[in-house]
Amino acid sequence: MRTLLSSFLGSVAFAALAFAQAPQPGATVSGGGGGDYRSSTGEAMGDRLFDVNSDSVDMENGSMQWKGKTFNLGNSRAMRMRFERYLASPAAGGDMTKYIATLTQIEKILGPNAVNQNNIYASQQAAFDLLFVAAEHEVDGNNCLTIATQVKKIWAMRAEFRDLNITKNQLEALRKTQEGIVVNRAERMEEANDSKANSPTTANGGKTGLTKTSQGQTELGYRVKDEQRTQAEILAKNAEMTALGLKAQVEFQSQMVGFLLARRYRHCLITSAFYRVLFKGGNQNIKVGAKEVKEFFPVSDFVPTLESVDTLAREAMNDVTTGMRTVDDLYKQGELYGAFERLQETYFLGEFEPAVMMYDQAKKREMLDLWRDLRELQRLGDERDLANVEGYVNKVRGRARDFPGAAILSRVNNAINASNMAVLSAKQAALSGDTAKAEASLERATKIWPQNPAVKQFADQVVSRQDKLSQMVPEFDRMIAEARWREVFNKKLEFALALAQDKARSDKLREVINRVGELDANIQKASVLASQNNPYLAWDVIVEISRKEGDDLVLAKTRSDIAPLVADYARLIGQAEKLEREGGEAAALTAWMAAQDLNPASPACGAAVKRLAALVAKSGAAKAATTTPVPAAGDDVPVPAGK
Amino acid sequence: MSKVNPLFFALGIPVLVIVILMAIVIPRFAGGGKFTDLSPFPVDDYRKDWATLQGNAYRFDCQIEKQLAYEEGKGRVLAVKPTDVARGTGRVPVFVPLAAGETFEVGQRFKCKVRVVRDLLVVEDLERF
Repeated sequence: MRTLLSSFLGSVAFAALAFAQAPQPGATVSGGGGGDYRSSTGEAMGDRLFDVNSDSVDMENGSMQWKGKTFNLGNSRAMRMRFERYLASPAAGGDMTKYIATLTQIEKILGPNAVNQNNIYASQQAAFDLLFVAAEHEVDGNNCLTIATQVKKIWAMRAEFRDLNITKNQLEALRKTQEGIVVNRAERMEEANDSKANSPTTANGGKTGLTKTSQGQTELGYRVKDEQRTQAEILAKNAEMTALGLKAQVEFQSQMVGFLLARRYRHCLITSAFYRVLFKGGNQNIKVGAKEVKEFFPVSDFVPTLESVDTLAREAMNDVTTGMRTVDDLYKQGELYGAFERLQETYFLGEFEPAVMMYDQAKKREMLDLWRDLRELQRLGDERDLANVEGYVNKVRGRARDFPGAAILSRVNNAINASNMAVLSAKQAALSGDTAKAEASLERATKIWPQNPAVKQFADQVVSRQDKLSQMVPEFDRMIAEARWREVFNKKLEFALALAQDKARSDKLREVINRVGELDANIQKASVLASQNNPYLAWDVIVEISRKEGDDLVLAKTRSDIAPLVADYARLIGQAEKLEREGGEAAALTAWMAAQDLNPASPACGAAVKRLAALVAKSGAAKAATTTPVPAAGDDVPVPAGK
Repeated sequence: MSKVNPLFFALGIPVLVIVILMAIVIPRFAGGGKFTDLSPFPVDDYRKDWATLQGNAYRFDCQIEKQLAYEEGKGRVLAVKPTDVARGTGRVPVFVPLAAGETFEVGQRFKCKVRVVRDLLVVEDLERF
């Protein structure tokens, strides 16, 4: 399950990884419909959710980890289908209680406490008969018949063994007889040789009469040959008996380990119980599957026995029972996603266990719907359809409130942002004329999120750019010629795209943008000052920028908005400027000072007063010289009468 | 020949002296100073239209507000405000030629004889008060 989730999350969060410049360490990508976009991020997420040392199901490889060891469950597609079929199928029918009772009865009959020297054959027969009763149940899948067949075969082998033993005994008796004959013939030959040696000699020293030198030697040779043939036959029968016994053990153990690996734990236990009563104590060690069984027990010098197999089977059954209890508890607490995860693990650990087979169909149906939504979510992740992932995550959350969707959404949002940033980078590169960089950025954006609408928009812009170029250049030139800076500014993005390759016009555009930008900043400054009840300073700003940008409509509007608030001030400044233009520096200075009285903080007034005062000080002496030192008495204005 | 009562002389002479002195001093304390014979400077009129006042000399009682400029060997431009607000308020610039020879500090009050030379107020004479 860990890998499944990793795959799923990895797929959904693909984009966050895909745009990374270098491949993620540990990330693997397997193509095909499986869509296993596993990554270190996904693994980490999976590890956080599931303890790697716990049971887990690998949907991609079609295997299940249990106690650190792997059960092969077939190819991934078949495995998925099998689980989906289980979720969709009704609970197993038949009398499950009776079936379990029958199997338990078989185990009891063959139990070490029940079997003894007196009833060993009767117990075997009773258990053997019950196998056929159990096989009648649908959930058994006729596996008890397989065991029965195996037991029957052992019995047949045992009869064969007995026959061989009889034959061997008969041969032994024959060999004994033959051995006696050989000994007899040899003694007779020895006696004949002795009598010949002791017979009297003639005068000339010769023997009396003609006698055989090796009487009976030919017969002895045949007798010895017969005895040796019999001996060889006995040895052959011994070998045949040994082979037969070994074959029986191997076949039975194969069946037992096969049941264990097929996760038919109850059948494994019954096979083990039969083995125990069918074979002698000296043959109780595991010969077949010893390596596989040893892997479940990480102990050096471990000797696999029938009890090891029993332990594994019983532990698995207990795990399945606990697992199903957990599934039901999680379901009752509304944690459907957790229940689904545990059910998946438990199913693959013990799909033939009654607790799994009898699980309520309505609950399984809910989990089937969740499973389908998860598959769809995985498909969206595989296809990097990021825009729709959020909707599906919320849908799954609606079904299973414990579904960890926040992390997925976070990664999806990161991927969307990354894609958009890549599009932005492509736009900037295109604007600066760097086509290669633009292409690379666009490719990156597409790889992260193929359906990014910004990519399509950018592509449309590129396509229409040439068309626009032919229209925009004359329009730009006309606006520049007519000093319509504001209009140029308002269409700056279109002009920027169209004039990207035209350096002279681009520079001009940049200049206009800066100019209007500065103007807008000053207008904004004036508006803020006016809103802060400081209209005179606002007016100063307006007057200052009006010198350069007198034709700007936005400025004119702002000026008309502020003017009523500063009518007297504006009048004084206007008067001062007029007087200065007419050469009346002193009068202009007087007007500026009056304006300064209204707006003491005005830098414009301060500067004008300073400038004009200096002028007046220079020219004042010359003016004064025209009247001083002796002014005409008649010029004096007399005090009116009554004053 | 009737004899004049000496008491008449004893009282009359001091009274006469006092009258003469009052005739001399009171006009000075009344605001005119030594420029009593000049009209007060119409500040508001000057601001509105200096051209109508060109060439005229006026008495201008004012207080130094700030020295705006000083030109070596020529004179200085002072910002002054009238002490008599009846003729106008607000500051006006006046040119004080070097010949005036006074020391000016902010806040000092002067009675000035000013002449409107084109648009410029030129101080022709002045006294502190």
